Amino acid sequence: MTADSDFLYLDYAATTPLDPQVAQLMQEVHTSAFANAGSTHRAGRRSAAVVGRAAVQLGALLQADPDCFLWTSGATESNNLAIAGAAKIRAHRGKHLVTMRTEHKAVVDVFIALEKQGFEISWLTPDANGHVSSEDFEAALREDTQLASIMHINNETGVVQDIAALGAICREHDVLFHVDGAQSVGKVHMDLDTLPVDLLSLTAHKFYGPSGIGALYIADGVHIEPLMFGGGQQRRLRPGSLPVDLIAGLGAAAEVAGNRIDKDLEKFTTLREALWRGIQDVGGLQINGSPDSGYPGILNVSVDDVEGESLLLALEPLCVAAGSACNSQSQEPSYVLRALGRSDFEAQSAVRFSLGRPTTRADIDIAAATYRNAVRKLRDMAPERVA
Amino acid sequence: MSADPYNSRVREYFANPQHCGDVADGATGFFEDQGMRIRLTAEAVNGSIRDMRFRAWGCPHVIAAAEAACRQFEGRPVAELEQFSTAQIMEDLAVPVEKTGRILALEDTVRSLGQAITDRF
Repeated sequence: MTADSDFLYLDYAATTPLDPQVAQLMQEVHTSAFANAGSTHRAGRRSAAVVGRAAVQLGALLQADPDCFLWTSGATESNNLAIAGAAKIRAHRGKHLVTMRTEHKAVVDVFIALEKQGFEISWLTPDANGHVSSEDFEAALREDTQLASIMHINNETGVVQDIAALGAICREHDVLFHVDGAQSVGKVHMDLDTLPVDLLSLTAHKFYGPSGIGALYIADGVHIEPLMFGGGQQRRLRPGSLPVDLIAGLGAAAEVAGNRIDKDLEKFTTLREALWRGIQDVGGLQINGSPDSGYPGILNVSVDDVEGESLLLALEPLCVAAGSACNSQSQEPSYVLRALGRSDFEAQSAVRFSLGRPTTRADIDIAAATYRNAVRKLRDMAPERVA
Repeated sequence: MSADPYNSRVREYFANPQHCGDVADGATGFFEDQGMRIRLTAEAVNGSIRDMRFRAWGCPHVIAAAEAACRQFEGRPVAELEQFSTAQIMEDLAVPVEKTGRILALEDTVRSLGQAITDRF
């Protein structure tokens, strides 16, 4: 908690603050490269060069050909474009698609929409730690399967799927493989030169870039249908004038991230361990996700005998996410945690702590103490059960 | 866009409840359902409630409403427990309409406490 704020932010999986270097660059670009990047005059070419540089920066982060990116408004749009665009262009070959029950709503709802349009969806259920096994995944593929979509790092639990293994299975079966990388790009190493990924969604605001800009990686030779129509920009797949300053911000954020992934991972591993140790005294805790192999920037914990909504209020001024995290205004238990086998009460008492670059050891100590006090207070207030 | 789901009274009652606890050997009203548990205990002297306490497991509105009920009825005639107004609590605490059932459950608990007091004192 800094001196100039009245909250302690531990919700970096929801969004991250803009990196100061990125903000400065964007301000410069806003005035120096304001022209339409699609214009052929000198000013337009200057903007196009800025966009090109961002693509190179993003390509360097992901070991990918810079020409393989489409700029979008964020991961939600990228997911829509990838899934619906790929499913529709291959529909004449088959209408079976595969995904998981623990995907983000920006994926789940696309599949539900496709289901209503006549596609058949196989919804894979993860094990208790949130993983889908290669065996279960391969068993779900059929002759008419055209696309599988699996998120890399789960936004609620931090569970990391083995996208290398799952992608390899897709290649064997001639199935397109889409990965929602909203929580992984800029946070863990990814090498698209070797990973068998056909489509990858990402968004800048999850890795200290600006909101409102994302990208879709489309591997060479992969085809999708556009969802929007207008100008001929971006190979006619995603028309509209490019937001040059936002794209420059994404590129700069990608470069910054690439230079510090290892450092951040090491720090988060230490801090998450300290947080977990710091709250264990209260008892009745359960980690949601994989305790040993998850992304270290996320700790999702359920607790016995505590009501989730009251816990969130008692945790103020901590800014964390609830077990109804996909939409924090909803009090419905998280469908992700329910898919892991948690009861409604376990899911509702879940709190997601997500760590970020500004998080300090002192923040973790405050967070742990606040959590312990909140749980004890609410348990003290509760009457014993009668039955 | 997110608005604060709790008004200042809910925040105050939740953060600093003055009536959380038990009245030893008091009459009891209890409710458990709809994802909540409430226990009200009270002692009456000469037809008036001398001490009234609550324990609650539920959302902040439930906890605040239980505290509000204790503040309302402590020192008042037992008969007034019948006058618990769900509508008034809903308004005072700006309880979302989808939680109406929880406040109705509190109303039932207050009434059962009144009956228990009548039986005991």
